[in-house]
Amino acid sequence: MKNAFTGDFGVSYKYHRPVNEVIFEVLPFTIFFSLSAFSIQFLGGALLALWAFHHHRKLLDRILSRGSIILYAVPSFVSGLFFVYLFSVQLKLFPSSGIKSIGTLEENILFLSLDYLHHLFLPLLVLSLTGLPVYFKYFREQFEEHQQKLYAFYLRANGVSERRIYLSHLIPNSLNSIIAFAGVDLGILFSGALITEVVFSLPGMGRLTVNAILEHDYPLIIGCTLTAGILIILTNLLADLIRMKIDKRLVKGLIN
Amino acid sequence: MKRIRISVFDFILLLLLMTAIFRASLLAKTGMLFISCLTLLATDFNKAVAQFSFDMADYFCSLFLLIVIPTVLIFKRKRLNRHKNFSFSHYAAVVILFVFLFAPMITNNHYDFQKDISVTRLLPPFSWVNVLHLKPNGEVDGRLEKFLSYKKEVVKNSFDEEIIFVDSFYVAETGVSYFQSGLKNHLPLSSFEFSGGRPKTSSKLFLLGSDELGRDIFSRIIYGTRISISVGLCAVMLSLIIGVALGFLAGLSGGIVDLLLSRLNDMFLTFPVIFFIIFILAFFGNSFISVIVVLGFSGWMSLFRIVKGELVSLKNKDYFISAQQLGLSGTKLLLKEVLPVIATPVIVNTIFQFGNVVLSESALSFLGLGIGNEYPSWGAMINSGQAYLSQAWWMIFFPGMAIVLTLVTINDFGKKLARYFNPRLHQ
Repeated sequence: MKNAFTGDFGVSYKYHRPVNEVIFEVLPFTIFFSLSAFSIQFLGGALLALWAFHHHRKLLDRILSRGSIILYAVPSFVSGLFFVYLFSVQLKLFPSSGIKSIGTLEENILFLSLDYLHHLFLPLLVLSLTGLPVYFKYFREQFEEHQQKLYAFYLRANGVSERRIYLSHLIPNSLNSIIAFAGVDLGILFSGALITEVVFSLPGMGRLTVNAILEHDYPLIIGCTLTAGILIILTNLLADLIRMKIDKRLVKGLIN
Repeated sequence: MKRIRISVFDFILLLLLMTAIFRASLLAKTGMLFISCLTLLATDFNKAVAQFSFDMADYFCSLFLLIVIPTVLIFKRKRLNRHKNFSFSHYAAVVILFVFLFAPMITNNHYDFQKDISVTRLLPPFSWVNVLHLKPNGEVDGRLEKFLSYKKEVVKNSFDEEIIFVDSFYVAETGVSYFQSGLKNHLPLSSFEFSGGRPKTSSKLFLLGSDELGRDIFSRIIYGTRISISVGLCAVMLSLIIGVALGFLAGLSGGIVDLLLSRLNDMFLTFPVIFFIIFILAFFGNSFISVIVVLGFSGWMSLFRIVKGELVSLKNKDYFISAQQLGLSGTKLLLKEVLPVIATPVIVNTIFQFGNVVLSESALSFLGLGIGNEYPSWGAMINSGQAYLSQAWWMIFFPGMAIVLTLVTINDFGKKLARYFNPRLHQ
């Protein structure tokens, strides 16, 4: 118990190595993978929502909204296998599993990173597609809500340019509640995008945790769970700090 | 796109009618089976009970519903809401429910039926396979035998000794030679069933192809609907009970109970539930019941929050205080005063929760932690298709489409319901 607090979770039954070592082996990949997927989701969702909102209630908006509803219902294992079939089996463009190919020159950073990118393209696509509709919907709803507020009318009546209204009023105001959601979401991504990792057999936290559970590797389970918990708490804290930075009223509420 | 102008009830009627026409002989046989079952029950009770099975009850239920629902619909025709402004999701919901209820009537295969794997393995969609019929052994006489023969015709088994799937065959004077993936076999004429002076042959359609064990994917998807829907319904029921009860408790008592339950709720909300589910399933084994229980227990959070939030505002309303002052018990307060008020958000949330559970169930099955191999499940079908991705896309595509279609329908339905209850939500 005392050891757990000092960061020593013991030795994994399966790997015969300290749990810390095993976890730290997969953690960089997981953080890179989930951060990039998260940024694609977040930015892509925001941009698409902005685009759709710009064409408010026109054909494009409707297509994007409908598409997001359908995309939201596609589980990642279905879309993942679909993309594997399309890109790996039929077109042979991207590899279907793993993160690097055998025989890549380890020394050459450029080749290595290109190889990683080549391997991670499909997983990132699949993982982003699961979150994209959610952020799209959130942003879209927030824009709609803030559009109807009086300050937006006022700005428009005063002849402030559309671009300015969007950039310095609508988007910052909508961000607040989305960031709270995004904090939890990023934390969950950090603890492992389990199904995507399974489909593409990537060495991530999700697969490590599930394998530990299935093999009854108790020290590893405890280590993984605690790491995931710490990451989730950290991202939530980060989200709250960002929100406070944006919205000073939250700090006042906290003090009162 | 032009909208289909049929009311939902007419659509149900149409579906049932189509089933009745296409499966007329099966329905007639089921009726005969029912009658012979009744006579056997009257004459030889023990044997009838021994022969009775759930599959048979399933067929009887389908037959019963197929008679009752149209009659009710026709007689109550005037009273029903006959708006024609229904959208795609209504029809899709009707189709899913229809498949759920009448699964044995829709397919004429058992979901585990496999025979002559070398011929039927990994067949593409819309492929026909030649079938040779062998002579049934055993004569039909006596009530029990008659009943059994009816049963064999109606209730599909996972095995059938009297048919052979072949690639090709030719009839010679000595017997029938047939080929099964390159292997030549020979059987004497006497072992075949005859129709019109020739050995009886037919061909069987594998509508959506077959999987690696030669099982028909269409019937597995149809029966998979039952698993998904029933797991979803049971788990949602469970989380509904837990969420409403705990939310009521927390909202009403306040103080330390509220604090504890709310923190527990936060814990569940932030930690990825899938790991919790896998943890429990790995330790207690996965079966139908345990999957339902685990999914039910992991879905109570949003309901808890809704009920608690509503109760906090409800607690200060005059009618609630007066009901409390009158001395109503906790259960009565919940049932008579609280539930009618919170019904709307709870129902809408339950629908979305249902979608989540269906998704989780298929994800669990995909990971191999689902309800086991006794029943077909969409997720498990996709999982088994993963290994044959380069050869058999249909093993993944059709179950995947079934999942996507179901989820789209459920989400859309929930959204429509929310809009119906709260018209302000959209404009």
